[in-house]
Amino acid sequence: MSVWDVVELARHPERPYSLDYIKRLAPDFVELHGDRLTADDPALVGGIGRWHGRTTMFLGHQKGRSLKERVERNWGMMHPEGYRKAIRLAHHAAKFGFPIVSLIDTPGAYPGAGAEERGIASAIASAIMEWFQIPVPIVAAVIGEGGSGGALGMGVADRVIMLEFSIYSVASPEAAASIVWRDNSRKVEAAEQLQITSREILAMGVVEEVVREPEGSARADHDAAAAALDAALQRHMQPLFELSGEELLRRRYERFRYIDSLIKAEPQFGPKID
Amino acid sequence: MAVIDRQSAGVPIAGGKLPEILLPTNCPGCGAGLDREGLRAQNYVCDCGHHFRLGADVWIPIIADEGSFQERWSGIRSHDLLTWTVPKRYEEVVDELLSEGLNESVRTGTCTLNGKPIWLAAFDFGFVGGTLSIVAGERLARGMEQAASSGLPYVLVCASGGARMQEGVLALMQMAKVNAALGALHRARVPYFSVLTDPTFGGTAASLALLADINIAEPGAAIGFTGPRVIKQATYADLPPGFQSADFQLSHGQVDLVAPRTELRPLLAHLLELYT
Repeated sequence: MSVWDVVELARHPERPYSLDYIKRLAPDFVELHGDRLTADDPALVGGIGRWHGRTTMFLGHQKGRSLKERVERNWGMMHPEGYRKAIRLAHHAAKFGFPIVSLIDTPGAYPGAGAEERGIASAIASAIMEWFQIPVPIVAAVIGEGGSGGALGMGVADRVIMLEFSIYSVASPEAAASIVWRDNSRKVEAAEQLQITSREILAMGVVEEVVREPEGSARADHDAAAAALDAALQRHMQPLFELSGEELLRRRYERFRYIDSLIKAEPQFGPKID
Repeated sequence: MAVIDRQSAGVPIAGGKLPEILLPTNCPGCGAGLDREGLRAQNYVCDCGHHFRLGADVWIPIIADEGSFQERWSGIRSHDLLTWTVPKRYEEVVDELLSEGLNESVRTGTCTLNGKPIWLAAFDFGFVGGTLSIVAGERLARGMEQAASSGLPYVLVCASGGARMQEGVLALMQMAKVNAALGALHRARVPYFSVLTDPTFGGTAASLALLADINIAEPGAAIGFTGPRVIKQATYADLPPGFQSADFQLSHGQVDLVAPRTELRPLLAHLLELYT
């Protein structure tokens, strides 16, 4: 399978989206809307449901299947309001001691004028900083596309896992091609060069686990994919319940502060730290 | 228009004599032939108001009192993580820039400004577009952690296209790494001033650049998340003149003030008096 085949699987319209997983993980899920400032961002779903006996906050980028739904969900590309809603719900979860599951599936934050006018850069920046102060367990999973800062804005967690045929990238292959070659048609080369597949991201030490997908990938069997994701999320969440809020925050800080530490272990793999 | 009164007027506009930079023959702002020495004495701001882009080697003597800058962690080097070969080998790119005397996209250290000790970090747009890399992230995070524990105010000069493609997802992770340290700086109640120069975009804008206690933009600087070329490609939108300019960010509530480079140092000196 080529890297581009993986990109296409990660973006496949029949691939399960966040709500497909959330409804299987927590059938009693209640969706909560809005950033309590100006709007609700339909590209991000959030809400609570009972998961393995605990009320849990679920957050997830949401794409649409029909054209109408895709437009409504803005192809899973969040506006500033989405990041503000996520942080509002994170504080809500912290208030009641609910653990948080964050499902990542976005090409990136919305690259449009309105997002710029309403401060998308500082919305993402604040979210990233704020996640380090939410003293409840957080597990994030990349379930499809983990595109750029738009994904990372939802990806600061105690554990981060990836589905087998998902991707995580500093920029979408198209954007990277446009930046490096000024030619977004060289996306296939860019995808190969960027090392965005789950196996490569795991090797770089950026995620804790790659979750095997069912035969024919997650799109072939939504129930089996959800069962695999459920088990993996649970496996990573469980040990976090043993830790105090303070300890969680300390370890979350260290996780990201030294995320490139593999580089120290393998000198050929990065900067030499003096 | 002056942004502060004469209280700080005794502070020179630069800490020392600035190095010469490569300049075009005419000003891109007004078209006038350039008086190199005159420009250098005015922090490379033309009489018409055009602010030339500067590297870290010029920013440091603008902000720091002469001879006070103590650079830290200048020996950390980028390495090729992804065996990046196109359009050019990443190691070749880095070696070339190092041989030109640049040292990564962020340089940092301690210095004094009008006698007050501070931490200073300056982006260098000349080094792969000032992109956030592992080395840049490491220098920023370490400086912020030290400022958080020592209490020295932190001054940042931004000029960056975002995260560095050639370091892949680990470059993206620098946004979280730096913002973790930035959170510690804020919790320690250490003043953080960010100077946004042309251009400040992408992962740098979406991490440390706009989260200062005071965001100061240079006149005419372009500041945003997605660049105008990509916005036009993605949405077919016609962007109005001045979109993402310093004044645009001021009117949209993202920056506290726009200050010309000739008034920046007196302004920072004044702020340091007010906050320490």
